[in-house]
Amino acid sequence: MGQQWGKNGTKAGQKKWQKRGQTEITFNWLYILIAGGLILLFFVGIVVKQQARSETQLSFDVVRILESIIKGASISEKTKNSIDISGLKDYTLYFSCEEGVSKYGLEGTSAQVEDVVQPVFSPTRIKAPRLNLWSIPYKLPYKTIDFLFVTSSTTKYFFVGQDENFVNEFFSQTEKELSGKKEVLFEIKRDFVTSVDVIDPEKYFHIRIVDVGGNTIKAGDSVPQKLRSLEDGQVTAVSFTAGNTADFFQKAGDTWMKRNKQPIYLISLGGERDAAKYAAIFAENEELYTCNMKKAFRRLQYVSEVYLEKLQEMEAYYDTPLRQVNYPDCIGNIKLFPTNLVERLELFQNKIAACAATYPEATASCTELRPLALTIQELNQELARNCATLY
Amino acid sequence: MNRKKRAQIHMTETIAVLFIFFILVSLGIVFYYKYSQVAFKEKQQEILANRAIETVLYTLFLPELECSKGEAESEDNCVDLVKLHHANNTFLKHLDDYYFDLFSFSTIMIHQTYPENQTWTIYDKKKVKTLENGTVVPDWTTKLSTFTVITLRDDLAIEGRSVYDLGYLNVTVYS
Repeated sequence: MGQQWGKNGTKAGQKKWQKRGQTEITFNWLYILIAGGLILLFFVGIVVKQQARSETQLSFDVVRILESIIKGASISEKTKNSIDISGLKDYTLYFSCEEGVSKYGLEGTSAQVEDVVQPVFSPTRIKAPRLNLWSIPYKLPYKTIDFLFVTSSTTKYFFVGQDENFVNEFFSQTEKELSGKKEVLFEIKRDFVTSVDVIDPEKYFHIRIVDVGGNTIKAGDSVPQKLRSLEDGQVTAVSFTAGNTADFFQKAGDTWMKRNKQPIYLISLGGERDAAKYAAIFAENEELYTCNMKKAFRRLQYVSEVYLEKLQEMEAYYDTPLRQVNYPDCIGNIKLFPTNLVERLELFQNKIAACAATYPEATASCTELRPLALTIQELNQELARNCATLY
Repeated sequence: MNRKKRAQIHMTETIAVLFIFFILVSLGIVFYYKYSQVAFKEKQQEILANRAIETVLYTLFLPELECSKGEAESEDNCVDLVKLHHANNTFLKHLDDYYFDLFSFSTIMIHQTYPENQTWTIYDKKKVKTLENGTVVPDWTTKLSTFTVITLRDDLAIEGRSVYDLGYLNVTVYS
């Protein structure tokens, strides 16, 4: 090229070369733009991919931590925890239970935990800066499993109706607990009201009405005026009716809608700290309640299997001529008396299996569990006088 | 000639720059990959350690094993020997459909050290895989064992009172 330029040093030739030079410069810039753009695109692609991956990873991490918190709280009995989850204020936690499998996680993400063992009673959706966890043992009559109640600082429980003893007992169990530095260790927002009309939702995400007398909330009745502006799922109620049953309600427009067709039978021994009754307060609907109760019945079956085998070993131990003379009540209560542990426990075991299959219907198998459990409790107390106990 | 040479030098320069650039990018990718691998392994270890602690706690509070006292609270870190004799039957019977969700891949053993030496394996489920020739081989890469001192209550040792033996709980988790 340089030689040609030397030979053809005319004006026209000079112009031609200038044009070529200009084209080359433009081409260089184009080349830089395309190559630079491609390189930039490559890095933008990596960043976008990493961002999506990080978000998925974060949701999985959050759910894993949530699982650890829930498992940790449910392992030991009588745990009361308040967990700061203000970092998740933009997320909504969801809880569900279908066919014996609980699922919980963050709404809008694929990360979720599935649990077939632990009964978790909670609202279906939680959006709050604090999570409150409380576990109490479910005993029928021996300890079966710890029920975990999950609620939040944005859920408020309003008690209404006449059962002063139960309300007082529940309120004393759920007293606000503070640490030395006035940090909230545990707090369930609850209030007693004489009428549902005075309930003010303030800024709570979920309002739960607990009708302890069983005659305040009725299907088709009007929802209190102040609660009508809230979404249907944000206002729910449970009503404890006669015969140890419960009904679950939800706001449907301006009226109450009863969710369960049949009354839900509460299977427990009654008395103080009745886990099955407390569970009905914390479970938002009948689906969550019955599904988690079925989990408890399944475990009760397995725990009873162990107790039945323990009883057989006790029977073999006390069924010797010497011990029959020295400790007649032991073998008597275990298998010789008309009402004895072996016969009661075997019957109890059969009823649990039958009840677990039909629950929540109040079938004979389910209604008979309570009297059977009470008999086993009495027989165990008899054994405690002079013999080894079953539990 | 001069121009040709300059263009060639320019070209070589561009190639060199691109070469170094891609070397730097490759180094970055390799470095990030290695870092991710290490971070992943650390996270796996952390998860395994958490699982080990959870499994220990689950075992200590199992209604199938714990020392109950009628309506009162159960005794801490105590295993009922009579229940222990039979609990593994129930665990084995419902291993796949229930207890696996509780203990996952782990081995849970209870050792009695005083007055006698005895061992009970109450749960054992290791991660395994079956080769094409039908041989079953272990499929876990890491295991972590945790030991906890416990008492073993025997209600049927001496009439009228319980006897407490000494032992430890050994929980091994696999991943």
